[in-house]
Amino acid sequence: MERIVINKPEITKKYKKQKASSSLQRKEGLQGYLFIAPWIIGFLFFMAGPLLFSLYGSFTNFNITSKMDFIGLDNFKKMFTNDPIIWLSLKNTLYFVVISVPLTTAGAVMLAVLLNQGIKGMRVFRTIFYLPAVLSGVGVYLLWMQLLSPSSGLVNTLLGFVGIDGPAWLTDPSWTKNALIFMKMWSVGGGMLLYLASLQGVSQSLYEAAEIDGATSFRKFFHITLPMITPVIFFDLVTSTIGAFQIFQEAYVMSESGDGGPANSLVFFNLHMWNKAFEVFDMGYAMAMSWVLFIIILVLTVFNLKIAPRWVHYEGEDRK
Amino acid sequence: MKTVRKTLVSLLILAISFSLILAGCSSKESGGSKSSGTKDGEKVVIDFWTFWGSETRRPIIEKIIDDFNKSQDKIEVKHTYLPWGDVWTKNLASIAAGNPADLIINDINAVGHRAQNNQNTNLAKYLEQDPEVKDRFYPELYNASLYEGDPYALPFNTDTRLMFWNKDMFEEAGLDPNTPPKTWAELEEMGKKLDVKKGDKYERIGYLPNQGIGADVWMINADGKGYWDFDAKKAIINDETNVEALTWMKNYYDYYGDKTINSFKAEFGEQTADPFVAGKLAITTDNANFFTKIRDYGDGMNFGVAPLPAMEEGSGNSSWGGGFVAEIPKGAKHPDEAWEFLKYLTDVQAQEYWAVKNFDVVANKEAAEKAAGSAEFSEEGKMVYSEAAENMKQTLLTPTPNEAPDYINLIQPEIESVLLGKKSPKEGLDAAQKAVEELVKSNKK
Repeated sequence: MERIVINKPEITKKYKKQKASSSLQRKEGLQGYLFIAPWIIGFLFFMAGPLLFSLYGSFTNFNITSKMDFIGLDNFKKMFTNDPIIWLSLKNTLYFVVISVPLTTAGAVMLAVLLNQGIKGMRVFRTIFYLPAVLSGVGVYLLWMQLLSPSSGLVNTLLGFVGIDGPAWLTDPSWTKNALIFMKMWSVGGGMLLYLASLQGVSQSLYEAAEIDGATSFRKFFHITLPMITPVIFFDLVTSTIGAFQIFQEAYVMSESGDGGPANSLVFFNLHMWNKAFEVFDMGYAMAMSWVLFIIILVLTVFNLKIAPRWVHYEGEDRK
Repeated sequence: MKTVRKTLVSLLILAISFSLILAGCSSKESGGSKSSGTKDGEKVVIDFWTFWGSETRRPIIEKIIDDFNKSQDKIEVKHTYLPWGDVWTKNLASIAAGNPADLIINDINAVGHRAQNNQNTNLAKYLEQDPEVKDRFYPELYNASLYEGDPYALPFNTDTRLMFWNKDMFEEAGLDPNTPPKTWAELEEMGKKLDVKKGDKYERIGYLPNQGIGADVWMINADGKGYWDFDAKKAIINDETNVEALTWMKNYYDYYGDKTINSFKAEFGEQTADPFVAGKLAITTDNANFFTKIRDYGDGMNFGVAPLPAMEEGSGNSSWGGGFVAEIPKGAKHPDEAWEFLKYLTDVQAQEYWAVKNFDVVANKEAAEKAAGSAEFSEEGKMVYSEAAENMKQTLLTPTPNEAPDYINLIQPEIESVLLGKKSPKEGLDAAQKAVEELVKSNKK
């Protein structure tokens, strides 16, 4: 969070002035570099190399074992003109992002507010609601496949008690994505923890002042609580948007034979990319796809950062 | 003084972390060089990769390897187990790095695709030395291992789709327990008689046309041809019999409706209970080794086994199968030795052992026929295995066409849309045909 607040140029200027060129400082600087050296070396060897390679690879017909010819923009051309599934996968991914990100964010905020009440045994509740965030991966998906089973699953059984005839979650193509979103809602505990921490940082004096002015709890929430935690909401929004665009595992595990069925309703961008890369070894094309996704996410994130000043409120900062 | 100490401490920490990293690297390296073939005294060590690591399969393949190692003193085969999800990706990476295994178990349907992409070794020169090897296999399997006329792998095991029916349920429904349906019409008629309904819920269903097999198998069953014409090298997804097969399936599907089938399918996911074994289904179509589920969990079920019913009388009972091959990755260090072991692996003794211990249909004809009479099988086991061995004569494979390696990804969603009622069978298959033709065109460029 702080990283966004800090005004970088100023600080470095100050730092530089202070530094002069004392040998002590230089030594410390060197030590600093030595300390981050393992990370930098790791990054250069294991991240930067493959990253650059995939950038180059996206302009080739690389298939791992036999071909690597430069084919210019052909992969990108093919993507936009000759791959019907890629559009479908983008649509599916966007649907998932647009619905799941606001829902999970709102869910996490609400949960945090509820868990911020001062009632007895709150620690126990907090633990319980945080637990799903600790569990992860395939085990959880398999569990949910059972819970979402149309006629014997717990979810539809519960819906049945209140007279709702539950859908065939993972087998009906118009419900599969909703099923995944529903599942994601279960593990909002991770975000909740962030909000809980920031809620506790909201100064009590603000509430006291509002109470003296006769504010209702509704107004207190919308005019004090919410604005005070906007930096965390912003952070959560940006990171979970990025995460949601990269959805893969859920669809891979929870669709029949991992192909994104039924009726391609779970073909997400990354799943399609994986199929291209590891099913048919069209690695160059898959690399090109990954760069397209990167650009989409980059643009969205920059957009998010640009509009952030309109609604994100930092304490001690003047409204412009 | 303080800074000196600080520097020393930080250098020490750095040194430790570096040595840890180096230790990590070096242990990896030594592991790597061991796994590739190296001369161990006189013997040549070859590395054999499989994904058979389960409690049942691992001892079986390792016994075969052990027998081979003891049978001669020139080659030592080392088994490397890699999980199903990793083994082929790792194979690719190791081929690209020039340090692959000497032999690997891989998918039979993509042999040609791998050959085209330089991932496996042409075995033609070995088959010239040992021409009789090729006659061991069911021809359909051997043919699936060819690329441009040359073999790039040898088939190891396979499977075939059969029909199983519950004899007690037949009797209960007033049907002759020893006369299974022979045509699609009979299957549907008997199936519906076997339904048990309570209110508007099905307690038992006679037969579900997409249980265990899909529309693709019925299309093959109809005329011995599926989505691809291997002679003409083109897609025939929307040919007449395919449309007919899908229409039949769709109508049968609609008789029960989405809701019934979806909840039925979800309840009996692949991993959990099977509806036939659980007594919720009277007829099912599945792999031959589905028998092991009936044997282990069927509680002494009285069942029969037969080939898939024909579309109409005399149209043939074609079935569908897949399987695995053993092949020498491109760039393997000891292809000659790997070939020796490959011969052993596909010979009668090893194949029969695998067949009997796993209840798995093997690629070696003689071994399969021998296994069918094995004293280790129960009477029912013998019945199913010999039916399966017999069925291999009419079992077809669907190797991945190199012109469109991911064609299934374009067809499957269309079939699903048809079954969901979003498109008519003709429309769906026409769309799939068009999409695959486009794919072929774009891959040609």
